[in-house]
Amino acid sequence: MIAVDDLHIMFNWGTPLENHALKGVSLTIPKGQFVTVIGSNGAGKSTLLNAIAGETPCHKGSISLDGNDISSLPVHKRAPQIARVFQDPLMGTCEDLTIEENLALAQARTKRRSLTRAAKSEYQERFMDKLKTLQLGLELRLNDKVGLLSGGQRQAVSLLMASLNPMKLLLLDEHTAALDPKTAQFILDLTEQIVDEQQLTALMVTHSMKQALSIGDRTIMLHQGNIALDVDGEHRKSMTTNDLLEQFQKNHEQIDDDALLLG
Amino acid sequence: MRKQLLKLTYLSLASAFIAAPALAAAPAEKHVAITQIVEHPALDAVRNGVKDVLKENGWNEGENLKWNYQSAQGNTATAAQIAKKFAGDQPDAIVAIATPSAQAVASSARASNIIFSAVTDPVSAKLVEGWDKPGKNITGVSDLTPIDKHLGMVKEVLPSAKKLGVIYNPGETNSVSLVKLINEFAPKHGLEVVEAASPKSADVQTATRSLMGRVDAIYLPTDNTVISAMEGVVKIAEQAKIPLFAGDTDSVKRGAIAALGFNYYEVGRQTGNMLVRVLNGTSPGDIHVEGIDKTELFVNPEAAKRMGIELSPEFIGKAKEIIK
Amino acid sequence: MLNSFAFFGAIETGFIYGLVALGVFISFRILDFPDLTVDGSFPLGAAVSATMIVAGINPLIATFCACIAGAAAGLVTAWLNVRLKILHLLASILTMIALYSINLRVMDGPNKALLGVETLLSPLDNLSIPYYIAYPIAFGIVILLVVAALVWFLKTEVGLAMRATGSNERMAKANGINTGRMVLMGMALSNALVALAGALFAQSQGSADVTMGVGVIVIGLASVIGGEALLPKRTLLMWISACILGSLLYRLVVAVALNGEVLGLKAQDLNLITAILVTVAIVAPNWRSYFKGSRA
Repeated sequence: MIAVDDLHIMFNWGTPLENHALKGVSLTIPKGQFVTVIGSNGAGKSTLLNAIAGETPCHKGSISLDGNDISSLPVHKRAPQIARVFQDPLMGTCEDLTIEENLALAQARTKRRSLTRAAKSEYQERFMDKLKTLQLGLELRLNDKVGLLSGGQRQAVSLLMASLNPMKLLLLDEHTAALDPKTAQFILDLTEQIVDEQQLTALMVTHSMKQALSIGDRTIMLHQGNIALDVDGEHRKSMTTNDLLEQFQKNHEQIDDDALLLG
Repeated sequence: MRKQLLKLTYLSLASAFIAAPALAAAPAEKHVAITQIVEHPALDAVRNGVKDVLKENGWNEGENLKWNYQSAQGNTATAAQIAKKFAGDQPDAIVAIATPSAQAVASSARASNIIFSAVTDPVSAKLVEGWDKPGKNITGVSDLTPIDKHLGMVKEVLPSAKKLGVIYNPGETNSVSLVKLINEFAPKHGLEVVEAASPKSADVQTATRSLMGRVDAIYLPTDNTVISAMEGVVKIAEQAKIPLFAGDTDSVKRGAIAALGFNYYEVGRQTGNMLVRVLNGTSPGDIHVEGIDKTELFVNPEAAKRMGIELSPEFIGKAKEIIK
Repeated sequence: MLNSFAFFGAIETGFIYGLVALGVFISFRILDFPDLTVDGSFPLGAAVSATMIVAGINPLIATFCACIAGAAAGLVTAWLNVRLKILHLLASILTMIALYSINLRVMDGPNKALLGVETLLSPLDNLSIPYYIAYPIAFGIVILLVVAALVWFLKTEVGLAMRATGSNERMAKANGINTGRMVLMGMALSNALVALAGALFAQSQGSADVTMGVGVIVIGLASVIGGEALLPKRTLLMWISACILGSLLYRLVVAVALNGEVLGLKAQDLNLITAILVTVAIVAPNWRSYFKGSRA
């Protein structure tokens, strides 16, 4: 269970470039819930994710995981509990390392690393099984350097890596934004499949209103650092993208973001 | 016909006999390998001195002398490779100029005849165990400044001086050895040493200023860093009226009061003479390590006046050269 | 062209500087950390080992202490970068500058002579093989062991984490890797290897000198990058071996350049000749592709 309590995030505090990105966001996500986050540019979506992941320090407020305050923990100390897929398809994998080595890295996310061999033979079968689910033929290319793969393939591998080991929270940061429509759909379907199979608690930032409503259990809309809308259950099921659009307009926003409208 | 042939044979034998002494006068072909750690006027002068002495003794490059010169371009690893190449070339003698090159050669060319030059302290550089008949395959000429004589000169000009300031770069091997010697000999001349360190030539003025009011005179050893920025020291010495002495004669031209100098070309010649002995068959182990033979006094009475002292006529009279 | 002394000498120096190349490989290629500390840790290793050996301490222990000293130097640079957030290049320069004074202190002067003193290499002088062949063989064995250990390490979980740190730091952190600790560890290891090279060089050369370090980073980078041009980076072993190959090649080129008087070149031309020969050595294996070009 993730609890965000009155979170304030400030960038360039005390300088002329000061930006109060999150203005007291409070949010509780129960175990097993799949939340989508939407909002226009600058609303604070990625900031929220980065704060939960540990990349951005909190100016005020706290973040806790299953009752434990993790606000002051650095990224690598939260990583055993929080897995993440980045927006940049090239960011989730190391291009110099092989597919097997990347998976081995993810395999060790939840434990203390030792001086034993990283790409253990006992993992290989498991890796190959997981890769088979992607249906990209990657299970036959374990020793290929990840840099040889396309962006879409790398993002698929990143998703796989994130879900390799158990976690308390899966953060998905517009992870299909940089992919072509076909690959994006493929990754999205895969995401839903994995979250569903493993009953994961997930937080997904998306730029597509359609995705925001159709995927997951709950939708949050951020506007200028605050939560403007928080729907789940029946109310959410009955919402359409037009309803969301109205909400945007209520926020006094002119939407000129094509991706948001057409996605 | 036979008589003619016999005559010819006798004539050629006779001419060979006559010519023989003339031929023998030109010495047998020798191979000399010579290396220095870096291009530098002093080290180049040593090399020229060696070559000139060889020429005077009948060895000419291209005729009966194979002269192989390599510079390490300031790089220790290159010095190591040069030493190894020389070891393999098996010359009749190797001349190594400056401590790093000498150490590299001594380490690699264990079976060759080695003569070092311009090495200030061959014992602490572990090239030889002692100056007298070193015994192995190495000997050479040290350019160790005759510190005792220099301090004597300072005392001669300033009999009442008690504190002597010394400016040097602690990163130069030779300077460190010299300053150690200065500290050793100072008490004998009734002097107390005050050191000022100058790691870079930009630090020289700061170092000099730190001596103001604390010393009766300043002495500059042959330190590359300090000497290269000497004008800075002269300016402050004149302003603060502190007499300035140096360890090398060029500095007197630049404003020091006096120096008992030696020049590196002469060091080269001394080395050349040692080399000739080795080429003629003497083992380096049987040759004593030599120090500077000749010193020449250079004085600058005008500079002395600017620093507030008057040089006595008899002191000036001893000088080889008086700078105007 | 090369006499056997010069040839084996080049191999010997090539192996010693091969350790430097491995150190530079770890910092520059694995951690993506341009590290000038090596210009200070190379003479530091020489200074520590020489001073201790002359003081009568067992050469093996002295050499080991030299490695520890090098590791400490690497840790300082890494700490300046990781904790104080100083730019890596700048942090390494600061340490390098400080080490100059420290080396002078260690040796109590700018030079420590080791000629005729019992060193780690002394036992090699008494073998049936001549010393100038025994030394390169001994160093070759050392290099082999270090290369094997390094390849093994980089394939362990910790080693892989270190590679991830240099390759994609954000992703490494997201996978639970304490990247700060990885940088500290890697820099310590890198400079320990360089200090070891310095210690071995001093013992084979007969002295430790405070100016020994000038240009070490350049030689290290030339070996790593030059080696990569010759050998493809297909496996980790090949990549690491390329560094050693680069170092050996560089030394052989210098040895050949020293014979330049054959072509009428003079001593002052050594650096120019070396640069030309290295360029030729790197381009030659691929000359066909340069001349054929693409006809698309």
